[in-house]
Amino acid sequence: MTVVTGQGEALRKSGPAQPGRLRTIWQHRADYAYVLPAIVVMLIVIAYPIYYTIDLSFFKTPPALQLRDKVFVGLDNYRIILTSDVFWRVTWNTVIWTVSSTIFAFGLGFGAALALHNDFIGRGVLRAILIIPWVISAVAASYIWKWIYHSDFGVIGAVLVELHITDRPPNFIDNVNTVLPSLIVVNVWREFPFAMIMMMAGLQTVPDQLLRAARVDGASAWQRFWHVTFPHLSNVSTVTILLLAVANFNSFVIPWIMTGGGPSNASHIWITHIYELAFGRQRWGVASAYSVLLFLILMTLGYFYVRALSGNERKDRSE
Amino acid sequence: MTRSKAGTAMRGAVATAFIASLLSTSALAAPPVDLSKWSPDYVREVAGTKEFDTAADCSKVTPLDYKGRVTLWYQGVFEGDPDVLRQNYKDFFAAFRATYPNIVLEDQGITYNDLLDKFRTALLGNAAPMVVRLQILGGTEFAAKGYLQPLKPEDVGYSSEDFWPGAMKAVTWDGVTYGIPTNNETMAFIWNADIFKRAGLDPEKAPATWDEVVAYSKQIHDKLGISGYGLVARKNAGNTPYRFMPQLWAYGGGVFDEATASPTYKDVELDSPQSKAALQASYDMYVRDKSVPVSALTNQQADNQPLFLAGQLGMMISHPSDYNVMQDLQKKTTGSDTAKAQAVIDNMRYGLIPTGPDGKRAAVFGGSNIHILKPEYVDGGKVDEPAAKALICMWTSPEWSLKLAWVGSNPGNLNGFLTKWMKTRLETTKFLDVTTSMLPYGVPFPALPETPEIMNIIIPDMLQNALTGAMTVDESAADAAKKVKDLMAGGDL
Repeated sequence: MTVVTGQGEALRKSGPAQPGRLRTIWQHRADYAYVLPAIVVMLIVIAYPIYYTIDLSFFKTPPALQLRDKVFVGLDNYRIILTSDVFWRVTWNTVIWTVSSTIFAFGLGFGAALALHNDFIGRGVLRAILIIPWVISAVAASYIWKWIYHSDFGVIGAVLVELHITDRPPNFIDNVNTVLPSLIVVNVWREFPFAMIMMMAGLQTVPDQLLRAARVDGASAWQRFWHVTFPHLSNVSTVTILLLAVANFNSFVIPWIMTGGGPSNASHIWITHIYELAFGRQRWGVASAYSVLLFLILMTLGYFYVRALSGNERKDRSE
Repeated sequence: MTRSKAGTAMRGAVATAFIASLLSTSALAAPPVDLSKWSPDYVREVAGTKEFDTAADCSKVTPLDYKGRVTLWYQGVFEGDPDVLRQNYKDFFAAFRATYPNIVLEDQGITYNDLLDKFRTALLGNAAPMVVRLQILGGTEFAAKGYLQPLKPEDVGYSSEDFWPGAMKAVTWDGVTYGIPTNNETMAFIWNADIFKRAGLDPEKAPATWDEVVAYSKQIHDKLGISGYGLVARKNAGNTPYRFMPQLWAYGGGVFDEATASPTYKDVELDSPQSKAALQASYDMYVRDKSVPVSALTNQQADNQPLFLAGQLGMMISHPSDYNVMQDLQKKTTGSDTAKAQAVIDNMRYGLIPTGPDGKRAAVFGGSNIHILKPEYVDGGKVDEPAAKALICMWTSPEWSLKLAWVGSNPGNLNGFLTKWMKTRLETTKFLDVTTSMLPYGVPFPALPETPEIMNIIIPDMLQNALTGAMTVDESAADAAKKVKDLMAGGDL
């Protein structure tokens, strides 16, 4: 066939690339075969549930009927969510929960990593102790903290009353104003060791000769940290913060076990609200729509996470 | 009030209330006990008057050599239950396996607060068990959705008249019976006589009305600095409706008209002046007087038990089993705590739940039912009906419906009251007659598929909104009423 058009010319130009790509794939057929089982499993356990959740988000699922009796309502579930007061309240709670937990866990973990980076007697023991909150089961930690916070016979309350600092035990988790900060403290306590470990690993990569050179040049401790150490930690910090943010956005165990989202929905965050909507109230459609929105947010965070990792790799290669 | 005086007063009140209650039921055929004579003395009189052979009875339903397999999920014992009940459950499963050695039983006990969520999830994946024993408010939801097979007492060798009429209502949907009551219960009012005495109250007299509960709670708190009444307002916990609904009904309120003789469930009454008065009473105790545990919003009855045992709580609503729970807890104490705990146990008193301003007395007619699932929703797609019926026959037998309700409840099968084990139970379980006396005042939850959401979420939300100050009493009652109306209309959110 004679090709006379410009479009045909373009096709002809791109033509040889196709066999080349196929050939490359064929050459790597063993690699593809190795990852095929994982891809199949992912399609079954990840892709299908995502598809099903998106599909379900377009249906109304009356609580008195079976799920199979669902009614197509298009985007109505999204409208219901976005126009409900609860959504904005739960979203605000989620933002406070995620941002506060991430910032404090990262800050505390970073501080602990800096402290433990110095050599001193007992450093190993201290490091092991500080990791304990992270290795304790979240469920067990939640019950322990519930007891510590208990508004009638909690440990903190008993100590404060015993020391005559207060007349009554403080109300941590039965008060709409204090419940979320109280839960954030627990979450930070559980998460900061993760940030600490990540940042300790990052600190190992800071070249000693640069720090020594800066010291010789008369740089103060703060200047050495700000101009030498911190720039080397920017990538690991970004990754740590993103991982913490994703984990906090998805955090379920602590708020659910300690308060169930209460009192008066004051500690409901997205994930606990979705759970209650789906399994407690059987609004599968609305809960799915919530989940789709949550998925989009987490994918956005995931995109930045991958970009940060890719940036690291590029930087490593260029070095 | 002394035990005998209390008993006399109780008998009169109980007989009147129970006769009225019976007139409102249709099942007047021939129950095995004379319900018109119901009183603590009558219960004692009939106990031990009839022998039952469970294996022989059930062999008529499913031959004892039947070979099969049955899977069971049941709402079982939890942290607030006494050890004796745990043992009875073990004994039951051992007895079933001994009676039907060729039936493989795969049983899974799940706590009250987790069972509904887990069961719903399993149903969505067609992975449910063949047999499920649900809390009383759960049956209608699953029957209405078409998950359950029709099942009536006659299918396992009993008569519908062998069971409480109110309990049969809870397993009936659209005129069809979908399950069999295993146990039925009403709670009672418990107080610490020593705390009453130290607070300047009559140690032998329970508050007669809910207004008195509010006043007593304040007096106890003001004089002794401890909590007066054990309020419970946690969400997604069965304890909350079991304690608030008696208060709501006593004031003349309700979610609908469920406390009336012939409920229609048409009009929502949560924002009526009577319902608001009940909510106001809780508000007064929690916010105004601060006379109840601060942890009421996140606690459940299991949290009140140690407070009561420690002498830090004056009054609460619970089962007779709490007496046994206190004894179990006391065994775990050490040093001087043991004597203190014993003093609390010695000072435990049980009485009828208080009335409202118009003399209305009510308790939740609670309990559990057992059901068979349709094969298409069951893991594996098959139901071994003879095996399932053998299990249900044994569980709902006079013997086991009694033994599995030993201290916390009462047998669903009325014949259980006639057994020799009932006699033993009366002799060994203190205060049992008080809770048994509350049975005629029992009000079943609305027999609607929406009831679990109303009781587990909307009612606790209403309480929490009012008690935290997130809304006023009027606003939270109106908000709850609106939520119920929306729910009944199909429910968007």
